[in-house]
Amino acid sequence: MTKDDAVDKARKDLAQRLKLDGSKISESSVDDADFPDMALGAAEEDEMSGQMMTRGWRIRLSADGQGYEYRADKNQVRLYGYKGKNYRL
Amino acid sequence: MNRNNFLVHLALAIVLILVAAFFGQLNRWRKQWSMHIVTMEEKKRPQTSEEIAIADRAAGRPEVLVKFKSGLSHDAIEALTARLNDRVEDLIENAPGWAAIDDLDDASPAATVAQYRAMPGVEYAEENYEINIPDQVTDATDISRVRTGVMLRPKDPMFSDQWALANSGQRGGKEGADISATIAWAKTTGSEDVVVAVLDTGVDYQHEDLQANIWTRPDGMDPYQDDELGSVDDTYGFNAIENESDPMDDNGHGTHCAGIIGAVGENDLGIAGVNWKVHIMPLKFMNAGGSGTTKDAIEAINYAIERKKAGVNVRIISASWGSTQRSQALEDVIRKAYENDILFVAAAGNSSVDNDRQPHFPSSYNVPNVVSVAALDRNDQLASFSNWGAKSVAIAAPGVDILSTWLGNSYEEKSGTSMATPVVAGVAALVLAEHPHMSVEDLRRQLLSSSDPIVALKGKTQTGGRINAAKAVE
Repeated sequence: MTKDDAVDKARKDLAQRLKLDGSKISESSVDDADFPDMALGAAEEDEMSGQMMTRGWRIRLSADGQGYEYRADKNQVRLYGYKGKNYRL
Repeated sequence: MNRNNFLVHLALAIVLILVAAFFGQLNRWRKQWSMHIVTMEEKKRPQTSEEIAIADRAAGRPEVLVKFKSGLSHDAIEALTARLNDRVEDLIENAPGWAAIDDLDDASPAATVAQYRAMPGVEYAEENYEINIPDQVTDATDISRVRTGVMLRPKDPMFSDQWALANSGQRGGKEGADISATIAWAKTTGSEDVVVAVLDTGVDYQHEDLQANIWTRPDGMDPYQDDELGSVDDTYGFNAIENESDPMDDNGHGTHCAGIIGAVGENDLGIAGVNWKVHIMPLKFMNAGGSGTTKDAIEAINYAIERKKAGVNVRIISASWGSTQRSQALEDVIRKAYENDILFVAAAGNSSVDNDRQPHFPSSYNVPNVVSVAALDRNDQLASFSNWGAKSVAIAAPGVDILSTWLGNSYEEKSGTSMATPVVAGVAALVLAEHPHMSVEDLRRQLLSSSDPIVALKGKTQTGGRINAAKAVE
């Protein structure tokens, strides 16, 4: 998965969760980032992950004045801290 | 006897005594001088790469091995080496294109290797490492003597990049900030009788630098019987995700950890593991993304325990994973492993937090077989990402920029307490190679008590030290 693929996947997921048209979602920033583990520091409940530093992208989106953080690498995209929980897409 | 004769005899006796005393003193002087020479030789033993280069020249030993591109004639090779003021010592039989090069300058072997690697006609160049077979390390406690006198370096071509095993200060590191592997190897390079279970994303058991050290179910042993699944063909280990036989790695993380523990040593390929020979049992419970469930981890640990009960000498589980969620079921199965004499080495975690306050599991379970491992960088500093814990983290090991095996016969550098964990698991396997009947309690104690104190770890871990393989195998 490329960075663009990951951003696209994150936008679609957020639009679906918020039941919004994709055009209402904007990209605040997309940055390279080092995450602390292979779940990108966003493990779901009952999920164990390899403790290897993992290079990926931090994708910040916004909609209706709210900010949302997605984390991605070549293998996966995750939604971080959404209503107190993490989600693997 | 008249008075004159008496005086003559007395004078002769005195002369004889004086001569004897003189020769006695001479003998003592000779012995002292010999000891002085031995001490001087001991002091003069080459330590730095420059000193090693000088010693190599004195011993007439070629410093580097170079593989020239095919088609180059002997004369062309000699012309190339002459340009660097070097000499072809030998063209190696049975290895077309390889030549042993004697450096006639004062350059270190590493510098000479770099010169050759930069030449267009050269395919590869490496240091001609000296393999010092120890006479016999009888004074086992005198590590300083061992340090100066006896070490074993493998010929694996990437060994010079494995700072965790032998830190010569490469890439800005601190010389000696390593686990003293080369000294430990003078005593043991491991044993195929020791089985280490790598509980991870699986292992690429076909990797050319691992293949010979992969455990396979022994002939005559029945396939694994699972209560739910029935018979499982566990030829190469166990896959708890698919509940099938194949523990092939589809991520790379488990293969990396396996290489740290036991990439085949002295095979002229890639790297050397902490153990040159060992048996690695691949257990897969994490998926291609590098994560898995508690249930699958438990199933895989159960598999290892059942295989131990069936006669496989599984003595160590290496667990380079975790989360902040406590699971009583997982703790219970790790305790079951303890009851079956299996050490459980676990990553302390990468969130730069104090595990005494924010526990990380399974490394924070208070079970006697758990060894929680923090990560160090090449300068003996706690890695910036590493968790710590004066009560809950046992020991530290190198875990930054660690070179090891990866998918598809490749090699990669990775960082994490994931990488520090198999270093400790590997040292535990070395200890068991030397002391096969050591109990799990004694094994854990041995690992912790033989660590080297590190200033940066004071108050950060139970031992405040970096694991030391040489002391551990004593």
